[in-house]
Amino acid sequence: MLNAILRIWNKYGFVYLNGLLGTLRLSAVTVFFATILGTVLAVFKLSKSRTANVLVDAYVEVIRGTPVLLQIYFFWLLLPKAIGFELSDTQSIIIAMVVNASAYVCEIIRAEIQAVDIGQREAAFSLGLTPVHTFFRITLPQAVKNILPALGNEFINMIKQTSLASVFFVQELTTAYRTVQSTTFLSIPSLMISGMIYLVVTFTLTRFLGLFERRLRSNAP
Amino acid sequence: MPLENVPVFEVTDLRKSFRDLEVLKGISTTVQNRETVSVIGPSGGGKSTFLRCLNLLEEATSGSIRFEGKEVTGPLSVKEKALYRQRIGMVFQNYNVFPHLTVLDNITLAPTLEKKIPKEQAVQRAYELLERIGLDDKAKEYPTRLSGGQKQRLAIIRALAMDPDVLLYDEPTSALDPEMVKEVLTLIQELTEQGMTTIIVTHEMQFARAISDRVLFIDNGILVEEGVPEQIFGDPVQERTKEFLAKML
Ligand SMILES: Nc1ncnc2c1ncn2[C@@H]1O[C@H](COP(=O)(O)OP(=O)(O)OP(=O)(O)O)[C@@H](O)[C@H]1O
Ligand SMILES: [Mg+2]
Repeated sequence: MLNAILRIWNKYGFVYLNGLLGTLRLSAVTVFFATILGTVLAVFKLSKSRTANVLVDAYVEVIRGTPVLLQIYFFWLLLPKAIGFELSDTQSIIIAMVVNASAYVCEIIRAEIQAVDIGQREAAFSLGLTPVHTFFRITLPQAVKNILPALGNEFINMIKQTSLASVFFVQELTTAYRTVQSTTFLSIPSLMISGMIYLVVTFTLTRFLGLFERRLRSNAP
Repeated sequence: MPLENVPVFEVTDLRKSFRDLEVLKGISTTVQNRETVSVIGPSGGGKSTFLRCLNLLEEATSGSIRFEGKEVTGPLSVKEKALYRQRIGMVFQNYNVFPHLTVLDNITLAPTLEKKIPKEQAVQRAYELLERIGLDDKAKEYPTRLSGGQKQRLAIIRALAMDPDVLLYDEPTSALDPEMVKEVLTLIQELTEQGMTTIIVTHEMQFARAISDRVLFIDNGILVEEGVPEQIFGDPVQERTKEFLAKML
């Protein structure tokens, strides 16, 4: 087994590395846009508008209540029809994943902002700060300390979730496995290589995130 | 600037309900400039709600609050509310210092941001205030490093940095370890002696008696009795006041 793994790695290593690149790129792009969209959603959710509240609630419920794979199929089928021009498979998958992740990001941001002690806001108000200043100078900076690590976790989740893109043979780690498997017919060793790369990447990122989180907490409590 | 002959607060028939629960049932009182008023009463009686209505942290259900002659219970714009609150300092039971800002920034934030006071000037004022409470060497530190008593004194000078016309305290020493109560009470007393108009909710009866010009006893949403401390503590008229004081002393 170990032999087979090494042989495959020597011959097809570049396929995996390209796959890893694809996975990281997909995850980064997704988290980036999901953060923007999720922030906008959270702003609507935290606003006083009832309509905005209900809409965001519905959005979050639908996204969290249905499987990602189904959402990917849905956008893959629907988007080209809806917008009237062709999208690459990669593009429709990214859009699906951004939509999916934005619901989770929205929840993270909303929860962390609401978790900031209400006394902080009241103290700011009582000093005569306007609501806008209170939000940007008092509430948000305290929430960000918890939002950033949570977004980091979301990024790690995303690295695993992008494996779904292999359904459409988009270049990423699980697709790399499928490519190598179909030429070598050595299913288990080629699968294990992908698995190990995922593990190394997520393990490293988790450690890194832990360090980062401790830094955030220590400098300025 | 507060006007000498106009009351700081004129409260008339102030009512506040949270849904079905009527917490303030028509409070009327007047607070004069430079006066020190203590608010005492049993837990849940509405003392905090009363203070919070005064600086609009709670919106009164009905009744009127006049501040320096001007009605403030009507609909105010966001900006008007902020301007109003700049003139009323508030100190909370659990300090509410800003943990993500240094001691210095805690003090200078509101003056620079809302009163557009130049940074240098605000910093200089902050150091004067810090020196006064002996914390100038902690200016660059974060408040988590401070003791409870230091945090509360920081909260008080943070409010002072806005040059308010009146200070409201809601049980400023209730969360403190006993050995730190004195330093906070001493600062509050100094400020009242220098003429700062003060309304303080407190369970420290000795202190209330010592510093107050007038004491309000609020129970079950009603201003049961008010008077000079000698009368309230020495010769209360109402049964409920007597009962409460018997339990407290
Ligand atoms: N935001 C709120 N929503 C609902 N009920 C509230 C709210 N704030 C206060 N109350 C209720 O109003 C009543 C008066 O509360 P308040 O905090 O004003 O009393 P208090 O006299 O300050 O008591 P304590 O001495 O315990 O601080 C209580 O029954 C409390 O449960
Ligand atoms: Mg209270």
